[in-house]
Amino acid sequence: MNIKITHNWLLDYLDTDATPQEIQKYLSLCGPSIESVTKMADSTPLKLRGTNDYVYDIEITSNRVDIASVFGIAQEALAILPYFGKKARLKVNPLEKYKFNFLKKSSDRNKNLDIKIKSDNLCSRFTAIVLENVKISKPPDFVRERLQFCGIKSINNVIDISNYLMLAFGQPVHIFDYDSIGKATMIMRESKEGEKIVTLDGKQIVLPGGDIVIEDGNKRLIDLCGIMGGSNSAVNDKTNNIIFFVQTYNPKKIRRASMTTGQRTVAATYFEKGLDEERVEPTTVYGVELLEKYAGAKIASQIYDIYPNPYKSKSLTVSITDIQRIIGVQVSKDKIIKILSNLGFNNHVDHGRDELVTVQIPSYRSRDVLIKEDLIEEIARIYGYHNLPNNIQSSVYIKQPKEAELMFNLQSKIKYFLKHLGLNEVMNYSMISEKMIKKSDLIIEDHLAIKNSISEEIKFMRTHIFPSLIMNIKNNEGKADVLKFFEIAKSYIPKKGNLPIEKYQLAIVVNTNIDDLKGIIDSLFTELKIEKYKISQSKFLIFEKGLQAEITIDKDWIGKFGQLNYLIKDRFGLKNNVYLASFELEVLMKYYLPIGIYKAINPFAQIKLDLTLAQNKNQPYSLIKELAFKTSYLLEKIELIDTFKNKITLRFYFSSNRKNITEQEAKIELEKIQSKLL
Amino acid sequence: MNNVEKLLLEFKKKIKNLDTIHDLETIQIIYLGRKGLINHLLQSITNLKSEEKKDFGLKVNKLKTSINQLIGVKRQQLIKKPDTASYFDITLPGKQYPKGSLHLISNAIEKISDIFKKIGFIRMTYPEVEWEYFSFDSLNMPKGHPARDDFETLFIDAAESKKYGKMILSPHTSSCQVREMMRVGKPPIRMINIAKCYRPNWDVTHTPMFHQFESLCVDKNINITNLKGTIDYFVKEYFGEEFEARLRPFHFQFTEPSFEIDITCAVCLGKGEISGQQCKVCKSGWLELAGAGMVHPNVLKAGKIDPSKYTGWAFAFGIERLIIIQTKMDNIRILYDGDIRFLKEF
Repeated sequence: MNIKITHNWLLDYLDTDATPQEIQKYLSLCGPSIESVTKMADSTPLKLRGTNDYVYDIEITSNRVDIASVFGIAQEALAILPYFGKKARLKVNPLEKYKFNFLKKSSDRNKNLDIKIKSDNLCSRFTAIVLENVKISKPPDFVRERLQFCGIKSINNVIDISNYLMLAFGQPVHIFDYDSIGKATMIMRESKEGEKIVTLDGKQIVLPGGDIVIEDGNKRLIDLCGIMGGSNSAVNDKTNNIIFFVQTYNPKKIRRASMTTGQRTVAATYFEKGLDEERVEPTTVYGVELLEKYAGAKIASQIYDIYPNPYKSKSLTVSITDIQRIIGVQVSKDKIIKILSNLGFNNHVDHGRDELVTVQIPSYRSRDVLIKEDLIEEIARIYGYHNLPNNIQSSVYIKQPKEAELMFNLQSKIKYFLKHLGLNEVMNYSMISEKMIKKSDLIIEDHLAIKNSISEEIKFMRTHIFPSLIMNIKNNEGKADVLKFFEIAKSYIPKKGNLPIEKYQLAIVVNTNIDDLKGIIDSLFTELKIEKYKISQSKFLIFEKGLQAEITIDKDWIGKFGQLNYLIKDRFGLKNNVYLASFELEVLMKYYLPIGIYKAINPFAQIKLDLTLAQNKNQPYSLIKELAFKTSYLLEKIELIDTFKNKITLRFYFSSNRKNITEQEAKIELEKIQSKLL
Repeated sequence: MNNVEKLLLEFKKKIKNLDTIHDLETIQIIYLGRKGLINHLLQSITNLKSEEKKDFGLKVNKLKTSINQLIGVKRQQLIKKPDTASYFDITLPGKQYPKGSLHLISNAIEKISDIFKKIGFIRMTYPEVEWEYFSFDSLNMPKGHPARDDFETLFIDAAESKKYGKMILSPHTSSCQVREMMRVGKPPIRMINIAKCYRPNWDVTHTPMFHQFESLCVDKNINITNLKGTIDYFVKEYFGEEFEARLRPFHFQFTEPSFEIDITCAVCLGKGEISGQQCKVCKSGWLELAGAGMVHPNVLKAGKIDPSKYTGWAFAFGIERLIIIQTKMDNIRILYDGDIRFLKEF
């Protein structure tokens, strides 16, 4: 969360000679990050006390809600600034000053409250006090100005004071119109599913159930606790009597309610982090003081303070050795104790041993300082990360599992190769829509589904890359004539009772023709030095009949390719045919060679002879090749030279590794081959 | 005049009018090539009487020498003379070769892997579809932690594991930490894991799938200065020597102490302002880059490593964030749109 506070406000608590820019720089290095300092322009009509003010925009990490306030920042500054040679002293400590006994005693306490709390896991401290004789009017100038500088709209003196308190101490408060509450009764309980409340902003909220709410004596909900009050009990122009209400709630319930109702109020962002019960007291007392002073309020009830488990002071011990071992520099014991006590961790035990430091944990740090490493962090940050040297740890040999290394090398090789062939690498989401699955003739049940997906577009984990690639072609229609994409990604194949199998796939799509796709596949295999692969007819539903094949080596299935069938093409509304291929990377990894195998160069003559054949369904090229090599021992290789209409021209290379063969000998070999062909 | 003299005369005439090296080389082949005129002339020697053969042979050889000399002289002349006759538009595009592209994420992954390889880190891969245990419990994020709820994590509709909890899409790469500790059994650990992560956010600055890279180092005597040194090394290698990194206090459940890593803003170059105006990209000259920290003792314990003997550091960077800083890209979703016009740029 981010908070805004002003420099002058900070100076109410802090006596320092640091400039706002210095405060920004030094606090950011050692404490909360002050993301910006903005000077409020001279033209501001609300200019006060003849001085300009500055606004700090500060990021507060989720564990440090205790510093999400003017006073909290003052406490940090107190610990940090002295190490940059700056003066830092507290002018006043409100935590000590504002105790309940600070409040004026009043004899006339006639406005009572009937309070019931139905469950003990809702509110760790419940404090309320009734104030009478309240005059709703304009807020004092300094309150209005500071709130406006901090981005909070000024409304009236009472509301502004409640916001002012939240920023001053980091404890949100609520103010009810006392006379609007039925029978002066407050019943705090969990909401039931479907109950409704209209909040201050006029929105009707249907409650999910289990939220903390307050019901009055007329069975009306008057507060969605920790998030926003009900409009039926809101302070209005005619308000005379108020309930000043300061609580700490169960943070989990607040977060749940705030997220499910979509009411992300500032108060909720405080309460959901878990607030210090001990700060309720000073906030209440300071609040009453302000309301007395600026709204004419008078105390009209006892202080209701329901606090079943008061904070018990805890202590924590850390050894100097551990501190130095983790920070990596020699920090002296004196400095350690000084740093900790400036932060409010007071050293109170003398172990008689130099090695150990024991400190007491202040209540406001009891939620985030639990183990010795937490204290080490405090010491390290105030010591200053910028004061630590850069030391890369010494290297040791770590063995990378071979399969990991090979997999990454293979992927890199394939990516570069396909890129150089002119393909563009795409990356698509791992999740696809139900529509895409159905359009591709895949089965929904074969996919892992995301329970709480934020969009129908990304609901199922891919088992194939194809649907995404088809969409890539579709979405790029009209942007380029020739489209050739590839993607390497994991597929997620569900496995009963276990995590899915995550396997890397390579998939290719082109919108040119099948010959182009086949050429890409062939050259990829050549690049990977995979020679003995077999291409055979296949019957995949996604491809058009007769325009598809699968690729195998021995018994291993490597991949498939073909033309997308017309039915699916139409479902996706594609203008042109697309051609797809996919491969299992694990199998490619098994057969691929990083470099080729050395063969001695044959010094003897090589004879080339061409042969033109009519294409025949019963004699595909793969069969011709097989027959030819079986028939002639002198055959070295075959090349496809040309295809014309239904004819193909093949070039046969003959040679012997023992002697120079003559053209005549080669011709005899070719005739032998020809005799075996149809 | 005999054939030999005729040939020489003809040659002299031809060579005189030549004005390019290319033409000279052509005529050289015509006369002196394997199937050239001189060899042709020599072959006619078989028709001669044996007493005439010797004389004829000598004449042809002399002719050959003369032609060679003439060519040599002419070549020297032509080399010195500027070639004005032939014209080639060197500015025309050359033969066109296909140009494909690697995805920006692939580029970044490769660069990161190389940088860490140099200091002895191995790259591993771990599940993206994970159990809650590895993404949360083992990382000191107990049940009820806000990061574990429906608004921060995507859950898979599958049976729960008794041992490891619900099946999720890992919202960060840190789930690899305890898995790597379990794999090696005993430190030292020096590992990076680059993987896809998933969260329920989809807007200009968030995509539901994104990439992180995690770096984990566990050993005896690993301390904050080591983390700082490694980050400084990485930032300078990845972005350039002029970039500085700084650590600021932060909070993560699985590290203690925890830091946020900032680097010099690439837009205002760390000044925080551009010609008097506040830099719109960064915070006072610094850009938030990543989270880091010393491995929390509870995480080491979950990985069966004794925190009193070993310490470690870990950090995780968003790769999209690195790319945004590098390219000054303003819309991260474009990375996953597959738009050919975008892909072609790289």
